[in-house]
Amino acid sequence: MTAADTPAPKQKISFVVNGEARTISAHPMARLLDVLRLDLQLTGTKEGCGEGECGSCSVLLDGVLVNSCLVPVLQAAGTDILTIEGLSPAASSAGKLHPVQQAFLDCGGAQCGICTPGMILATVQLLAKNPSPDLPAIREGLSGNLCRCTGYLQIFQSVAEAAKRLATP
Amino acid sequence: MRSDPSEYHLISPANLNAALALLADQSGQWRPIAGGTDVMVLYGAGHLPHKNFVNIWNLAELRSIEEFHTEIQVGAAVTYTDIRNHPAIQQNFPMLATAASWTGGIANQNRGTLGGNIANASPAADSPPALLAYDADLLLTSIRGDRRIPYKTFHQAYKKTALAPDELIRAIALPKKFANHLHHARKVGARQAQAISKVSLAAVGQLAEGVIADVRLAVGSVAPIPLRLTRLETALLGNSTSSFPQADLRRLLAEEISPIDDMRSTSAYRSTVAANLIAEFLERLTNSGQISRSNLDSARSSPDLNSNPANEIAANFTASDATLHRWNALSPAAAAAAILPCCGSQAWAATMAAARPFADLPALLESSRQIWNHLPPTDWLEAFHSHPRIGESRAASSATAKSTAWSSQEQSQVAKSPEEVKQALAEGNRLYEQKFGRIFIVCATGKSSNEILQILRRRLQNEETVELHEAANQQQEITQLRLKKWLREGTTSVVP
Repeated sequence: MTAADTPAPKQKISFVVNGEARTISAHPMARLLDVLRLDLQLTGTKEGCGEGECGSCSVLLDGVLVNSCLVPVLQAAGTDILTIEGLSPAASSAGKLHPVQQAFLDCGGAQCGICTPGMILATVQLLAKNPSPDLPAIREGLSGNLCRCTGYLQIFQSVAEAAKRLATP
Repeated sequence: MRSDPSEYHLISPANLNAALALLADQSGQWRPIAGGTDVMVLYGAGHLPHKNFVNIWNLAELRSIEEFHTEIQVGAAVTYTDIRNHPAIQQNFPMLATAASWTGGIANQNRGTLGGNIANASPAADSPPALLAYDADLLLTSIRGDRRIPYKTFHQAYKKTALAPDELIRAIALPKKFANHLHHARKVGARQAQAISKVSLAAVGQLAEGVIADVRLAVGSVAPIPLRLTRLETALLGNSTSSFPQADLRRLLAEEISPIDDMRSTSAYRSTVAANLIAEFLERLTNSGQISRSNLDSARSSPDLNSNPANEIAANFTASDATLHRWNALSPAAAAAAILPCCGSQAWAATMAAARPFADLPALLESSRQIWNHLPPTDWLEAFHSHPRIGESRAASSATAKSTAWSSQEQSQVAKSPEEVKQALAEGNRLYEQKFGRIFIVCATGKSSNEILQILRRRLQNEETVELHEAANQQQEITQLRLKKWLREGTTSVVP
């Protein structure tokens, strides 16, 4: 095997992003985060720490919450990716937000906004598994997402409010 | 400095054999990557020395949990999330499920794998002490064939393991032989979520006729490798837990561990706390020795019972203990709801529920004290606001019926006081709330209304930080009294 001694060529990698089939050309070890932001211009996914501690780069991969800074893009081949832009596809046209987004707005769960896309996707994942989480469950569900602005209280309230709204549409 | 992605090769083989063939090629050039939670951290920081990776994340051969009559085999690429959620692991190997819940946040638990945690060989990793205490074997595979080795022989020196360059961990085998043991896992870190341990312990033990018949102790973060304490185990065997001298325990432990000073902790702290954790385990083991068969059987019939039969049920059936043992067996949510009126903080209640089982009232009180002191002020405030103002009977709507009933007992002296004292208290409450923005908290039990009034006037002079801590101490006293009352009042109040 001589491949190891030569530069890795870019290769075609296909997946579904926010409901749309995409094929990109990338080095296989490139971080999914960079491919989303630089190749696909989906800059709603943020980079915070770049080492899996802060959750700013959270996306859902086949419905599972992951830190996209820790996923080599080749491992995303064939998956269904949801970023913050895909949560409410109608947002730009109809001005309608996903209930979790709206709850964060209403409860002051967002300030500077860097952690917010990750917080919201972590919330979506939490509520998918546990539609009516108590406070400890909310804390645990968001324990991998750091916020330096809000002090978390408004974020916890946003999650509780979103759970309530989703339960009674 | 970021890594340059064009310098790195990553290949996704179709199956395990193809992966093994790559690993065997040009020996040492290719390395496995699974969930990436360790490898990609180095890559992101520009510190990843190896350039050629074989993707084993998607290999079906490594992704299953299989249950056999005598053991459970966990595939090396099974994630922490899978481990946490697996009923047979929760039941047979609760310390492994607990360790998985300690590891990182949800996103990292969704990607991090058990095999990766082992092969990365960090002495601070969360799952190795549990696997060591459970006498796990590793099933290794390569194109040369398969072999099975005891996990305790795997870690040889700091980051040096028994894994050959062309080998993969295929699965971790856990023998189902601890059904009647006490399982005890503790992690000490800077905070609860996402912290790397300063020191950790996983221990299983069993008593027979009052002496230690079987014991396995494993520690993390106190040596260059995750460590089984085999010499201390041997010394403990055949002794009664209560008579084993603390000094001997600490001396024998010091001979086996070699903790260091680093950014997370000090050698001295790690030695002391490691010994304390073992002493705590032995204390629990003492209590577990008093389990009687009939108690276990009756407990098993409860649908909420934590399935681990080793969770202790102590001997002395005073009313308080019986109540405590029933509470120990409730589901986490039911347990938190039952104990909530004693304090009023949801976080305190949930943490207390998670810290079960408790052997006795003193253990419960001590744990409550520690948990309360470590809560952030927002949780303190939640507890404060579950009380009515001194001199009034109604708290905020969040107060439970139980809490309201206790408040009226605690404030019974105030209720009987003269009208002018009541008015002075109301005025003091108003000034206090104006100054501090929250209600005045005092442990009213046994205090006359005049005493309370004096305390209120003194504390009105306090600076905010001092007053916050004084209020928290008062709430602590209230909680301690209520915990005792709660257990005394018996089982009806435990099950809401």
